[in-house]
Amino acid sequence: MHGDFSRIRQAGSHWQWADQLREDSPLYFNTYAQGYWVFTRHDAVRDMYKNPQIFSSESITPWEPEPIYRFVPTQIDEPDHITYRRIVNAWFSPRAVDRAQPEIRGICRALVQKVAPAGGCDFVADFALRYPTAMFLRFIGLDTADTDQFVAWVEDFFGGFSGDPAGLEPMARALDGIRQYWITVLDQRRGEPAPRDGDLASHLMHARFSGRPLTDAEILDMLTVLVLAGLDTTRGQLGYLFRHLATHPDDRAALIADPRLIPSAVEESLRFYTIIFGDGRKVTRDVEFHGARLKKGDMVYGLVSGANRDPRAYERAGEFILDRKHNHHFGFAGGPHRCLGAHLARREMQIGVEEWLRLIPDFRVATGEELAERGGGSMMTLTKLPLAWEVAW
Amino acid sequence: MKIAVDGAACMGHGRCYQLAPGLLTCDDEGYVTIRDRVIDVPDDQVAVAEEAAGTCPEEAITLLRD
Repeated sequence: MHGDFSRIRQAGSHWQWADQLREDSPLYFNTYAQGYWVFTRHDAVRDMYKNPQIFSSESITPWEPEPIYRFVPTQIDEPDHITYRRIVNAWFSPRAVDRAQPEIRGICRALVQKVAPAGGCDFVADFALRYPTAMFLRFIGLDTADTDQFVAWVEDFFGGFSGDPAGLEPMARALDGIRQYWITVLDQRRGEPAPRDGDLASHLMHARFSGRPLTDAEILDMLTVLVLAGLDTTRGQLGYLFRHLATHPDDRAALIADPRLIPSAVEESLRFYTIIFGDGRKVTRDVEFHGARLKKGDMVYGLVSGANRDPRAYERAGEFILDRKHNHHFGFAGGPHRCLGAHLARREMQIGVEEWLRLIPDFRVATGEELAERGGGSMMTLTKLPLAWEVAW
Repeated sequence: MKIAVDGAACMGHGRCYQLAPGLLTCDDEGYVTIRDRVIDVPDDQVAVAEEAAGTCPEEAITLLRD
């Protein structure tokens, strides 16, 4: 095969493509870029994640085996990876999310209250981009007044990351803007005797890595990767979840009648509408793997979207089931690099649904035109989602 | 029934204690607290224990039937 995974396509088409690839073959060699192996089914993607000693995270982009960037700890292998993760795990733990829950709800409610009287909005621009960004800044102890700036940076970064050459210059400028922002944040905190309460940057400046302080370069890398991994992803997932709710009134009614179903509905959206098309790894030694003779240095691509919809792993895999059981999806990846922000992201989505349905229980997609999604080169996301609802006067 | 968690396989997805809050809980980092341990499953927790085991993306949970 020769597939360019980066282009903007009709919304939902990446999953159709993943379904087709998976059912046609468990394995491909994609001749795109330098060439890489594609594993399409749940068993192989699971085993890729479970064997990080064979599948290194040194590069996670299969068409870029020697990346110029190095995300910490995303692209760090064991044993250093877990040392970095332990510095931030507690910060993003379910208990930390519990403590932040009133603030998450407050930010969410204010945004829904703002759009509700208008009877319609672009869900992506007016809610899905702003909610996770404001929440992220609050969660790490920074000023939510910087939300607009971060929204713009994240848009520009992923415009280039998905492989569009015209997006490369704005991408570089955005990355530079984000780094400059963090440099200023670090400079404001330098020399302080103790970590500031509830302030992640300050926490990192006082953290120890195997007995030594983190370097500025490491802290900048970690903070930058949190921005890039945390904001666009939640925005993408929220868009597909709300498109589903807008087009499935029965599911909407079921969630209103029994809000205890909201967590499993969120998990099902992570499975069925996985925004991660695939996840790359670099092979560390010659090995036979699910029918492929892999050589050291080869790149592999686990087609996460294919795996999460694989009928060999899920009953009624091609249906969105609100109360699905045994939903062992890889929407947050798997193995040691499992999404750090997973607990925060799923709570943001749960609260997003709760608050939205409370104020706007009945809504629909407000356009007859096909919706478009950005390509799976980075993460799928709806470019726009116009919604409309009746306003009672 | 007993439930066991393979500590090396557990990656802290948090699905198990979300589904079985009456049986499992998490530590400060978000890992289930019974890593590398085996505990009894009370009769009224069997259904959620099965759901937790079937939902773990890492297949880290084993159920031991009496």
